[in-house]
Amino acid sequence: MARQFMKGNDAVIVGALAAGCRAYYGYPITPASEIAHAAALHFPALGGVFIQAESEVSAINMVYGTAGMGIRTMTASSSPGFSLKQEGLSYCAGAELPCVVVNIVRGGPGLGNIAPEQADYFQITKGGGHGNYRLITLAPNGAQEMCDLTMKAFALADKYRNPACIMADGITGQMMEVVELPKALPVERDHLGWAVDGTPATRKNLISSIVLEPVELEEHNLKLDAKYKACEAAEVLYEEYRTDDAELVIVAYGVVSRIVYSTVDQARSRGLKVGLLRPITLWPFPTAPIRALAGRVRALLAVELSTGQMVEDVRLAVEGRAPVHFYGRCGGMVPGGAELVAEYERVLAGGGQS
Amino acid sequence: MAVNLKQLTQSEDLLAGGHRACAGCTGSNILRQIMLTAGPDTVVGGATGCMEVVTTIFPYTAWKTSFIHSAFENCAATISGVETAFRALKKSGELPVAREKMNFIAFGGDGGTYDIGLQSLSGAMERGHNMLYVCYDNEAYMNTGIQRSSATPLGAHTSTAPAGTVKQGKEQNRKDLTKIMVAHNIPYVAQTTPFHWKDLATKVEKALACDGPAFLNILMPCTVGWHFDTAIGMEIAREAVETNFWPLFEVEDGRYTINHKPKERAPIADWMKKQGRFKHLFKPGNEHLLETSQKYVDDQWEKLLKLEAMSNG
Repeated sequence: MARQFMKGNDAVIVGALAAGCRAYYGYPITPASEIAHAAALHFPALGGVFIQAESEVSAINMVYGTAGMGIRTMTASSSPGFSLKQEGLSYCAGAELPCVVVNIVRGGPGLGNIAPEQADYFQITKGGGHGNYRLITLAPNGAQEMCDLTMKAFALADKYRNPACIMADGITGQMMEVVELPKALPVERDHLGWAVDGTPATRKNLISSIVLEPVELEEHNLKLDAKYKACEAAEVLYEEYRTDDAELVIVAYGVVSRIVYSTVDQARSRGLKVGLLRPITLWPFPTAPIRALAGRVRALLAVELSTGQMVEDVRLAVEGRAPVHFYGRCGGMVPGGAELVAEYERVLAGGGQS
Repeated sequence: MAVNLKQLTQSEDLLAGGHRACAGCTGSNILRQIMLTAGPDTVVGGATGCMEVVTTIFPYTAWKTSFIHSAFENCAATISGVETAFRALKKSGELPVAREKMNFIAFGGDGGTYDIGLQSLSGAMERGHNMLYVCYDNEAYMNTGIQRSSATPLGAHTSTAPAGTVKQGKEQNRKDLTKIMVAHNIPYVAQTTPFHWKDLATKVEKALACDGPAFLNILMPCTVGWHFDTAIGMEIAREAVETNFWPLFEVEDGRYTINHKPKERAPIADWMKKQGRFKHLFKPGNEHLLETSQKYVDDQWEKLLKLEAMSNG
């Protein structure tokens, strides 16, 4: 298989093209712009289209239009731009339009900075826009996964007719690693039942998210909810490392999981029985595996680049079965290995922060 | 109210040195020139963009006057809020320092003005706030890595409209934002450049003196995005006017005045040749794009002459 050394942001476009995405809509923002640059170079060359919109709102609504044609489409941005897309995402979810949105999360709130953070966890996984909806969310921790999980996101978006999100950060987006180039997948279009592509076959279809009658809107919400429950039952992805005999399990995702991974062996060489559970899907969240671990460990520790967001989902999973501690850095600060091992020691000695 | 160089040199420089603009930046020069005329009784708003980033890296500010930053698309709305608050406090007699008038200036780049900020700009102009909106137009999103904007001219290479074997840079002409602002029927609209200091200072003075909103579109040659030597930014600005690519004109209560008519307009290709962003247009096979660019400039100039004649006739 061909291998290439590339940035995580470029790997997103490799994955998107392999998944049969042929329409990219973008708007400039650091540290996500490389994704648009790669799309501008490669989409037209492969018979696709790249359009730079005049705003984030237009980019997501162009995605809405293309998704409505039953064609695989995507956009990418970074935190402030992702905030602007929330209305469009709510409409995509309401109208059941599949699409992929990448958020290369940066420091906030406000303009913040362009350094890595994970403080968009709430706005991505809790449905940052209005109404009862969920974003299927995948959190890659390296360039290979930026490619592979983007492909996966297209498959899940189509399967559930819902937007799917890749949540990464500036490190994962901009560091270069070797990527095994995937085989292009044949795209099976199954859109005739809902898309509006101007052909006689789809003339009966309607794309809209307005449902004026309360009875009917409740029905629509329950239908969406059933879809989300099916997704929760079937699509959870996670990884465990040395959790078998662990007394302390660290829960970390994305770039932080890479750091934690490297500290587990270090901690064990000091006699600390530490393991890692890494959520790959942030929604649906690996609630059941975390709950299972909670019954047999002394404590859990959520490590995040935020002041404490995913830790709430860990606590909801654990439901009091074990103490859940939190360690976070933010503003673009990233914890080092020694710093984390010291925190594991503190927690196992009965200290730590909650 | 004629502009006087001696007087300008004695005005306080309200943009301190030590900011982080690039070598050869013409933008910081634009800001300084405007502030020499506006003076310290001014609240400045800055949309996200290169001039905001280089002058206000937290916790430092290069501004010796009040400065408020807001999101990329909202500077005109933010200054609308500031100006409205001033009127409210003035009306209730609660101004911290009693004043009849203050200046409210919003700055945005072309991305934040032509593209994502057009809605809030249009709204502010239509409502008639007593404010000056300045677009520093470097014809692309330079702050995020040189992506095309709707101010980018035809044929320019950018990272999202790249020149290669399939395409030859941006495929569309730029939007004529100045005329869109004229269509708002506000008291004062003008175009200028940082090279034409007297023209610039006069226009700032007129814009701040008028009762109601004013708009200035200022061409800002960018050494990083246009790819020219850092020493020649001002020359590029001057030649943009001599080629009629960026005419100096103003529209006062709907009446057009062209402030400078080159005796002999220079060919646009001479100006483009000095800029790396147009390099590919000089390859064999792309002659038609140079011709199209020249024709576009000439057509726009003819239209401008007619507008001037009509509105003064």
